[in-house]
Amino acid sequence: MINIQDIRDTARDMLAKGEARMVIGYRRGTRGMLAEPAFITDPAQADDLVWDPTCFNNLSLYLVHDKKFLAHMRENPKGPLAVQQRRSAAAFDGDDFVFTTAAGEKRLAAREVMADRCLECRAPYPKEHNLVFGEDKTGRQLEAPFAALERFEAQDAGQRWDAWSQHFDRCMRCFACRSVCPMCYCDECVVDSITFPVTAGTTAEEKATRIKWIERSATRSENITYLMTRAMHLAGRCTDCGECERACPVNVPIRMLNNKMEREAREKFGFEPGASIGGPSLVATFLDSDPGQFIR
Amino acid sequence: MEKILDKKQIDGWVAALTEHPQGVGRGCNAAEAATTTLWEVHTPALDEGIWTYQPANGTARLDHPNTKQSPKEFAFPQREIFFSFEQIKGEAPRLTQIVPKEQRHAVFGVRPCDGRGVPRMDKVFTDHIEDKYYTSRRKNIAYVGLACNKPPSPNCFCLSVGGSPVSSDGLDVQMTDLGDRYFVKAITETGKAMMAAGGKLFADPSAADQKLLKKTHDDAVAYPQRKINDPDGAPAKLRANFDSPLWQEMAQACIGCGICTFLCPTCHCFDINDEVHNKAPLSGQRVRTWDNCQFPDFTMHSSGHNPREGTGARLRQRVNHKFQYFHENFGMHQCTGCGRCVSECPVGIDIVTVVNKVTEHVG
Repeated sequence: MINIQDIRDTARDMLAKGEARMVIGYRRGTRGMLAEPAFITDPAQADDLVWDPTCFNNLSLYLVHDKKFLAHMRENPKGPLAVQQRRSAAAFDGDDFVFTTAAGEKRLAAREVMADRCLECRAPYPKEHNLVFGEDKTGRQLEAPFAALERFEAQDAGQRWDAWSQHFDRCMRCFACRSVCPMCYCDECVVDSITFPVTAGTTAEEKATRIKWIERSATRSENITYLMTRAMHLAGRCTDCGECERACPVNVPIRMLNNKMEREAREKFGFEPGASIGGPSLVATFLDSDPGQFIR
Repeated sequence: MEKILDKKQIDGWVAALTEHPQGVGRGCNAAEAATTTLWEVHTPALDEGIWTYQPANGTARLDHPNTKQSPKEFAFPQREIFFSFEQIKGEAPRLTQIVPKEQRHAVFGVRPCDGRGVPRMDKVFTDHIEDKYYTSRRKNIAYVGLACNKPPSPNCFCLSVGGSPVSSDGLDVQMTDLGDRYFVKAITETGKAMMAAGGKLFADPSAADQKLLKKTHDDAVAYPQRKINDPDGAPAKLRANFDSPLWQEMAQACIGCGICTFLCPTCHCFDINDEVHNKAPLSGQRVRTWDNCQFPDFTMHSSGHNPREGTGARLRQRVNHKFQYFHENFGMHQCTGCGRCVSECPVGIDIVTVVNKVTEHVG
């Protein structure tokens, strides 16, 4: 069990002593029960921080935002950032969620209310940290890894195609999945229209006929190209935070695509994204002993 | 025209709207009747856990909270083809205009906030310049509304923006759920004709029905909602706080996705692109698609300069458009208080809180 006051006290202390220039955490939102990201620089605001099962955003996204912002402003950071990390939800009793309300205690089966990403979570304890609250409950997952993916794959090819055709048709290309993903950090994305450099010498025809890999139309073919490209680009990097799937307003099970790539990497190469900082990367590390000549 | 429709009769009304009025036995032959549709009826349906408008298939299901996407897509689809083009070397380019099909659409279950979105979209696409693609669709659409007996979302705030859970603005027909029956009221001539098509399925309302309708509407308006504290003062105060540091502070969590605008019943910005299908001979289509002021490249100049570089400037654009610019142009708030952008934002940005904070800010 984590005492929220410990987190608040630590945050206040770090800000007051200048050990961190900002604490990124969670606070109560205004639109209902869900928590929202909080960016705290004033020690007096440390008491806004909360920690409960309504905290679900992957805050490491904002480290990427911060880095880009500093690079853009050509500023040197005056100190590190402290990030409250996401762990699996706390209010567990056995396989149940327990809520204490004025009207008494309510129990819900965790399997019914938790997202697949949480049910299958293998790493609820942050391996890389400077400071950590709470105890290590690794091994506590309620479902085996890739359980949701395997349930889907149990269907025949026709059923799977029908299901994904509908998912691709529903996609509006709001790009919430890309924007909420800490690993989608490219400044120039293949779907954006800004990837074409225009100079004074660029002709109208060059502008009109520039290569567009993916059209803006949210049609099935373009949506497939977008979602598949994203899944490929995340292979070996996606750590299965599942934010893409949570953010999707039209319930496209995007996590399944990334999960599939994750399982390939694991089974074919024994590779687990995010297992270590500084370790080899799945698709960017080359060895002289690699088979095949194409890369040399 | 005010009538009562038993809930069991709704399928009958949908059928009466769908089938050709001169159907078999009423003046046309079976082949004609089979290929002619009077109205294509659309109704909210639950699909993959979300409420969307779907072809009615003989029934209208009206037990939805509100649809995930607004009904703006009927008059302003996410993708509109303007024309196709072809250029054979040595010949003049050939353009073929593509006009929307002449087909009437009846959209059932439209909530009052989304109904109020309709006249706002009409203003955008007809004021000074008529957008023919919009109006050619719009003239064939009828909105059959459903009053909100209680707010369908915890983030509803229609009362704050001049609306009401029982508003009939923008609607052709307004329905109110009275338990085992609907109170159905024609708002426009089109609405009257649609009700007339139902004929004897409708009954005249009794005094008790009228009384229950009034009570239902009164209760709906009295139901607590979220509140924008000073909607009337918002335009001037937003103008005064254009350079406030509050904007960047409130938009710090913004990820720059398109959820808020794509789901919004009144966001209407679009992009136009040529989709080239073939290079030699050159052929393709000119296509309009929804665009979105929250995307980082929305205002990107070809020089690389971006006047709305940060999320704060982009949040301000959306909020000011709803509560200042539109008000200055048309004398009404563009936001209709449906609460979609609030409920669906992945990072909790809340337009009610944003407007309240900025309008209460003294700086």
